[in-house]
Amino acid sequence: MSALEIKQLTKKYDDTVAVDGLDLTIKRGEFFGLLGPNGAGKSTTIKCITGIAQFDQGSITVMGHDVQKDYQAARATIGLSPQEFNADIFAPIEKILDYVGGYFGMAKGLREKRIEEVIKQFGLEEHRGKPFGKLSGGLKRRLILARALMHDPDILILDEPTAGIDVEQRHALWDHLRDLHKAGKTIILTSHYLEEVEKLCDRVVVINKGKKIADWDKAHFTKGENNLEKAYLELTRNDLQV
Amino acid sequence: MNMIRLTTVSRREIQRFLRIPIQTLVSPWISATLYILVFGVIVGSRIDFLEGIDYIDFVFPGILMLQLIGGAVGQSSSSLYFQRWTHVIDEMLSSPLSYAEMIFGYIIGAVARALAVGMGIYVIALLFTDATPDHVFAFLFYLVTIAIIFSLIGLIIGLWAEKFEHLNVLQSFVITPLIYVGGVFNSIDMLPESMQGIARLNPFFYMVDGLRYSMISYSESPLVAGAVGLVTVAVVLFLTVWTLFHRGWKLRA
Repeated sequence: MSALEIKQLTKKYDDTVAVDGLDLTIKRGEFFGLLGPNGAGKSTTIKCITGIAQFDQGSITVMGHDVQKDYQAARATIGLSPQEFNADIFAPIEKILDYVGGYFGMAKGLREKRIEEVIKQFGLEEHRGKPFGKLSGGLKRRLILARALMHDPDILILDEPTAGIDVEQRHALWDHLRDLHKAGKTIILTSHYLEEVEKLCDRVVVINKGKKIADWDKAHFTKGENNLEKAYLELTRNDLQV
Repeated sequence: MNMIRLTTVSRREIQRFLRIPIQTLVSPWISATLYILVFGVIVGSRIDFLEGIDYIDFVFPGILMLQLIGGAVGQSSSSLYFQRWTHVIDEMLSSPLSYAEMIFGYIIGAVARALAVGMGIYVIALLFTDATPDHVFAFLFYLVTIAIIFSLIGLIIGLWAEKFEHLNVLQSFVITPLIYVGGVFNSIDMLPESMQGIARLNPFFYMVDGLRYSMISYSESPLVAGAVGLVTVAVVLFLTVWTLFHRGWKLRA
């Protein structure tokens, strides 16, 4: 069974087609990169997978659950770290994690245990009582990641997870993501840092104007003098010319 | 219905209004105190209104209802609107919460705020009059049912609003005027005969009248029909809100 299966996904915003008949299958345990220029449809695709956006046509199955017909089971398997910070600015770190644990049906004792774990994992101990609005950009990003992992999901979706965080924290996060991948998590990553995608991902799909324009395995972009940035730029430039 | 998920949403809503007690609790208590003092005590003591009933006892249920409604509408509409505006709602939309769990969570939060407001006003009223309800169960029924109805109306406003000022449009231009002409300060018999029929079309009249009956056993409307009407309105509103959530109207892009 695939971790994620998207068939003929189409999403329009009024007359603008954001995602145009996208087909995509991601295997369980895969570290998957979803690339594309701004406005290519990456975040919209993620929103359709997670239930934040509705779609016009097609189907999406997550861990065997249809995201529309069986939305509760599908969403229970996903942890989302969105591009934009979307936490209550007045709520302290612990409360944000506690609420999200509750939304996922975790009992009080389990939530308390898990809050301690993720706070430690992401180095948030000193800041646990601070409201979200008072945190620095890097701390906010770490909290959003901690929140995504609160219910120990099978699939982790990371939309620009290292935007706005410094080099040391970025490397620490990469190590952490590698550990999660080794532990069997399926990880879907979008990033404008192609070095990051190249280092972490086993497979990369590039989309533009809502359509898939490339599907590469790691060998494709690490062979010889090839690197991901070179391959990506060549592809998107050609695609834009077409 | 998963109780952990439901209690999390309602707990979050309750903690939200307790975070800003001056705005959510103290302010309506002060407003109600002024109403009670001016209309009930100062003006009311000079009004020979209904035989055997002091004016303060006549107006108090309406004053209580006014603030109860404000609390319920304000809680659910502002909470949902701000969550939409800041995208915090995405936390819930991407979780396994069912639509019913979300809606009931908001309702519980709004009813809790409305009852906290109501309780404070009741205690204040005890300083001026014996506000003991004649029919305790009927009193609780009207308080809770009215709070539920207006928490659901608040959710519709919270979904519909596109900017901050929209949050007050319905309350300023529809709800408050209808409450004021719904028999809060006067008996329907005091209106010209031609107006009495119109007044009876006002749904707020049945709420004020029912609540007043529960407190002082004075009523001008068919109580059972009014109570059935209120429950029907609550059910219809719940189904409407559930449908809007299910369709993702203004919630999901």
